[in-house]
Amino acid sequence: MKNEALDEAVAVRADFQGGQVTPIAFKRRGREHRVARVNTRWVDRAGKHPRFYFSVTDHNGDVYQLQLQGGDLLWWLDSVTLEG
Amino acid sequence: MTADPKSLPRSAAVAGDAQDARHPSATHHTAPVRLEASVAAEPGTHATGGLASGTDIAGMVGSAGASRPPLHTQTGTDTRTVLHLDIDAFFASIEQLRDPRLKGRPVIVGAGVIASCSYEARRFGLKAGMPLGEARRRCPQVVILEGHAQVYRCFAERIFELCRTLSPDVETYLDEAYLELTGTERVHGDLLAATARLRRAIQDDTGLTVTCGLGPNRMLAKLVGKTVKPDGLARLHEHEAEAFLTARPIEQLAGVGHAHARTLRSMNLRSIGDLRALPMGTLEALFGAPGRLLYERCRGRDTAPVTAREVPLSISRETSFHHDTADPRQIEGMLEYLVGRACRATRELDLTVRTVSVRLRYSDGESAEQARSLRQPSAVDPVVLALALDLLRRQATRRVALHAVGVTLSQFTRDTAEQGALFDEAQAGRRAALCEALDRVRADHGHGAVVSGRALHLRGTVPQDRHGFVLRTPSLTK
Repeated sequence: MKNEALDEAVAVRADFQGGQVTPIAFKRRGREHRVARVNTRWVDRAGKHPRFYFSVTDHNGDVYQLQLQGGDLLWWLDSVTLEG
Repeated sequence: MTADPKSLPRSAAVAGDAQDARHPSATHHTAPVRLEASVAAEPGTHATGGLASGTDIAGMVGSAGASRPPLHTQTGTDTRTVLHLDIDAFFASIEQLRDPRLKGRPVIVGAGVIASCSYEARRFGLKAGMPLGEARRRCPQVVILEGHAQVYRCFAERIFELCRTLSPDVETYLDEAYLELTGTERVHGDLLAATARLRRAIQDDTGLTVTCGLGPNRMLAKLVGKTVKPDGLARLHEHEAEAFLTARPIEQLAGVGHAHARTLRSMNLRSIGDLRALPMGTLEALFGAPGRLLYERCRGRDTAPVTAREVPLSISRETSFHHDTADPRQIEGMLEYLVGRACRATRELDLTVRTVSVRLRYSDGESAEQARSLRQPSAVDPVVLALALDLLRRQATRRVALHAVGVTLSQFTRDTAEQGALFDEAQAGRRAALCEALDRVRADHGHGAVVSGRALHLRGTVPQDRHGFVLRTPSLTK
């Protein structure tokens, strides 16, 4: 397993239903990645604003880490984990 | 009798020797002690509903705080109940949650040595502290990950938050916690059932499993939990303690490390029961003051309170270098970075630090550590750094490359303002204001937004992200 840092701001389609945010798809380099599964989620409350993290598997089976910053509601694509 | 504690019905009795059978490492069998094992869920009970969320527990059992005496001494009863909660294979389990491709595979987290390994990896004989080279030899297919300390902290905080719905007195460590449950039966009813609900709430919320032990004190709660790992729940009553302890190996007794165990084994004392043959005076003569504690503990007695420590004992930051180095700019740069992180953590708790310790590990395995106290407690980077650099220069005298460096801050005080000589006041104020401003920037933009002084030398050699430099072995201790 190889974790590659991406640190890119991305456009994310998300569901905010039921007081919980769930990413549905994100666009990277002009290509849409549909979220097939949210593997786990966690919140970092150490800073001034909470940061919401999601480990997601896209429709290709790749695992990405997405982050929603609570302060400015910006989405970041933190990293991708590659097999091998 | 079953191997899976989760499948046991309410108040099912499990003999201690059956529990040991699940753990081949336990060479001694316990006397036939009844352990109440994992409780089946109340039908229709919601995972968190049973935790009485929103109930004013503090109002019923007193407000949380380090200065408050333990509940069992307040109420005057001798029926104390402590819960020990341990997160199973903490780091490795989180990595398996984050990447489902790792499920069912042997996973270890660590750099240099194993910090945590999944239960799949443990089947190959891998365990914490083992060098990675040996781990690879024993299990070539093992997946080795360097770890994400920040992620682990978030998961632990969430679990401890759920623990506080059960008791206001929660003493937390990196992957375990003690909860003082004495007197909370009035709120929660049966404590075994309440603990089962807590375990379920944790699993529903985080996806992680925990092992819980309920006992009449901290030591026994932890020990009884160990008999049902992973994902288990067990309870030991006070009257069962002596029988439970008798046949356990001496190393399992809290306070008996490798050195003490060697001494005791050389005297043919192999079980905790054997230790009871020694009078207190002999144990004191052998081990000094801790001998008195051993005398009590081998009889199942432990009076240590559960304290929700608001002030930590120490804050440490350490890492190994990506490549062993003798370059003073790299070493001092890393030390400045680590001091900055430790001081920021100290300021976030509104504390100032008195004692600074610097630890070095050389590439040949030798290590050195020195500590000194500041004239006045402080939490500003330049003051602590000056002392840390002095300690580094005093110790780094060997002509051998360094493998790792670390700093530990301890002896905290609540006074937040840096005090100095009368004519230093203006400068101290300016330093404190600068630190506050930097903290604000870092809170908004990440620690890596500002890199100071010598730490600039790390750029280009140590990977960096918004959270700062990506250390090879970030502190995985609390």
